[in-house]
Amino acid sequence: MGIQSLRTVSLLLAVVMASIGLAACGGGGGEGTSASQNQFPPVNEAPTSAKKGGTLTVLASGDVDYLDPGAGYYQFTYMVDFATQRTLVSWPPNEIETPQPDLAEGEPKVTDGGKTVTFKIKKGIKYSPPVNREIKSEDFKYAIERGLLPGVATGYLAPYLGDLVGFAAAEEAAGETGAEAPDIPGITTPDDRTLVLKFTKPVAAIALQALSLPIGAPVPEEYAKQFDQESPSTYGQHLVGTGPYMVENDSSGKLTGYTPGKEIKLVRNPNWDPATDYRPAYLDAIDIHEGFGDTASASRKILTGESQVNGDFAPDPPVLKEASQKYKEQLMLAPQGGNRYIALNTTIPPFNDINVRKAVLAASDREALRLTRGGELVGPIATHFIPPEMPGFEQAGGYEGTGLDFLADPGGNPKLAASYMKKAGYPSGKYTGKENLLMVSDDTGVGRKTAEVELDTLQKLGFKVTFRPVTHDTMYTRFCNVPKADVAICPNVGWLKDFNDPQTILDPTFNGEAIQPVNNSNWPQLNVPKINAAMDRAKLISDPAKRAKAWGEIDTMVTEQAPAVPWIWDYFPSIASKNVANVVNAFNGDTDLSFTSLTNP
Amino acid sequence: MRRYIARRVLWGVALLFICSAVIFVIFYAFPSADPATLRAGRAATPEQIERIRHSLGLDEPIYTQFWLYMKNLVLHFDLGFSYQSNVPVTTLILDRLPATAFLVVGAAILWLAVGIPVGIVSAVRPRSLLDRTTMVTTLALISAPVFWLGLVALYLFADDVGQLLPIFPGIGSYIEANTFLAKAESLILPWIVLAAASAAIYARYMRSSLIDTMSEDYIRTARAKGLSERRVVMRHGVRSAVTPIVTLLGLDIGTLLAGNAILTETVFNIPGVGRLVATSIERADLPVIQGVVLFGAFFIITFNLIVDIAYAYLDPRVRYE
Repeated sequence: MGIQSLRTVSLLLAVVMASIGLAACGGGGGEGTSASQNQFPPVNEAPTSAKKGGTLTVLASGDVDYLDPGAGYYQFTYMVDFATQRTLVSWPPNEIETPQPDLAEGEPKVTDGGKTVTFKIKKGIKYSPPVNREIKSEDFKYAIERGLLPGVATGYLAPYLGDLVGFAAAEEAAGETGAEAPDIPGITTPDDRTLVLKFTKPVAAIALQALSLPIGAPVPEEYAKQFDQESPSTYGQHLVGTGPYMVENDSSGKLTGYTPGKEIKLVRNPNWDPATDYRPAYLDAIDIHEGFGDTASASRKILTGESQVNGDFAPDPPVLKEASQKYKEQLMLAPQGGNRYIALNTTIPPFNDINVRKAVLAASDREALRLTRGGELVGPIATHFIPPEMPGFEQAGGYEGTGLDFLADPGGNPKLAASYMKKAGYPSGKYTGKENLLMVSDDTGVGRKTAEVELDTLQKLGFKVTFRPVTHDTMYTRFCNVPKADVAICPNVGWLKDFNDPQTILDPTFNGEAIQPVNNSNWPQLNVPKINAAMDRAKLISDPAKRAKAWGEIDTMVTEQAPAVPWIWDYFPSIASKNVANVVNAFNGDTDLSFTSLTNP
Repeated sequence: MRRYIARRVLWGVALLFICSAVIFVIFYAFPSADPATLRAGRAATPEQIERIRHSLGLDEPIYTQFWLYMKNLVLHFDLGFSYQSNVPVTTLILDRLPATAFLVVGAAILWLAVGIPVGIVSAVRPRSLLDRTTMVTTLALISAPVFWLGLVALYLFADDVGQLLPIFPGIGSYIEANTFLAKAESLILPWIVLAAASAAIYARYMRSSLIDTMSEDYIRTARAKGLSERRVVMRHGVRSAVTPIVTLLGLDIGTLLAGNAILTETVFNIPGVGRLVATSIERADLPVIQGVVLFGAFFIITFNLIVDIAYAYLDPRVRYE
């Protein structure tokens, strides 16, 4: 090769190396994104110039689970419930620490060392038509008790209110085909405006938060009883509420504004008195249109259209990127208070060896995992399990994490992974065992992509994996939630808070006492007596600072056990049309229908 | 003819029973989501799930569940209620059926109006430039997946996101429409998309069938009698050649009403029967799946019967005893 050619080649090589260097510097990033790097922080307050009037359209891909406030247990359902069902305490959009009194008149009285909670009920709050009467304390008692009926089956009643005096006996009495809501002696109503809850343990802190969920909404027994005698209850097709909005109904109370899977029409509740509520309720009506299976097209429709917001779906990564570049004013990224992780079954060899689990965590490329959902935009890389803005998060190390070496490198550290495999007894640094490990994942969408990224990591570490993609619900109800199914890796799991207490994040998912034969949410089946005991003690702490410290320490202990690969604390991307003054409720990261308005109603 | 119809109706009832039994077996034989667990929610205990399972009757043996289901169906026309929404299945299906029917009927009129004339013209001028162009175009339309065609149509012509000629209502406009005309307008793009492949298939069938028919002796006789070519083709040729089209039409309309328009309904967000059954399968909502299958089987059986009766009028050689 002549000198001239050599010079050309050298120059070309230099250009190529420089390009690679530039590419490595841009995008991805070597550290997790912190809250300060959220380029699209949510708006949690209505603008002072907010106008009344107009109809907002919410586009959704699926349906609410149940409009019945006793049965609903889903974030999208809460979007509707927050606008139609006022509760004893609730969440203004800019509040995530302590729920504010709503139907309760002032803060509740907590006595008896945290075992008794007394509420005074506000006067003058009326149900929507056709009930129309003023609410009373007995309505709250009935709302909780009907949750024990098999036809209502409130999913979170036992975990958070199960320590009410007489709860276990009432649960037994509800029976298998019970049509009468059983009496829970721990709930008393000395008069129409006083509600007293007595617990066997000092759990007031958690119970108060739980009453901000729809179970804390009153239900008129004389109206609902006829529907509750059916199993499942049909109250959800005839429901009434106390919020600024109601689901459109006819004079008998039958909902005309709800067609499952198709649409929900919310109209103003004529009996709502704004003087009793902190909600401004600017909109005249809200139409929820469901069934948008093609979420990319639906997202574009919102961004280019008028008076629309997204409901239960996040824009696909390419559309999210487009929104972040071309429709910046219409995008908000709100922390939802949840996490996503890849669970490793600690009861199945070789994952019963902590060094093998640490190797998997060290090898996992959490940046690549995050890319499957849209990259940096969708949230910071997780370094432990309590999500940001929740008590205990900072105590567990915050964004930087607990300082564990196997979670120090978000892009993965093959060398460190190999060293842990050697400690586990595999001198080559790779797994050489014969077991075929079962991995069950979502069969479509970003879930599948996430699983495939982790599958690649595991195969590079030497594991033989049988990869079985199934539908989302099958993945949970037949495989990952069933310990007998012996699934070694569940790559599409995670947990969303029920309210802003770290117990709701760590207890159902990492407490050994929470492992159950079906519907199990402790996917790694982590069962460490020391951690279980710490959780049992932490549940009884009322002081907020001590509670945060205790749960932060538990998060650290859990992370040290390497039961799962935590990879993101994701945001929920809220998109809106240009003429929508979107207000996101910080509690659940969704549009707050009672605070959102149109700029041109 | 009456005895023939009666026999076909009885067979139809037997087929509906068999379809129902097969769906029951499939649902239990292949792993799908557990409806009781889904109904119970994420924090439910095993005891709560079992109580719900009992209240839904899912802890009974499969043959007991099937017997109860058929008893309710035959005696009360009751298809049960959705495990997920607690709404009667009949209500869900009847609510979705008009959208699917509107979509299917409109598309059928379009594909017949385009497919048959194109097939006839191609048949009477075989191997001409027009014929070759038509056949290549039909091949392209048959090959294009309907969901791809739908997305391209939206990208080019939808009034909210269209890049070329944004003149047609876009995704979700069917739900927003309140009048018959507005709903029809919202279905123009879905009609075109759904009709495209079928029109192409019908054109090819018509062409092939008519070419065969035109070589028959009675066609030569008709020409020899001095009839005009137009009369020979339309009155003698097309009448015989159209019988396979009638069969196809019956099957197509029956299967589309049964939920086969799922892809078109998904792309354009039309709340039809196809979308209903797709979400029900994902959520293991057996009563809804059963209900849609029975409705679908009913439509297919009915339309096949109509088609067979139509044969007797179209083709005098066909007689039923």
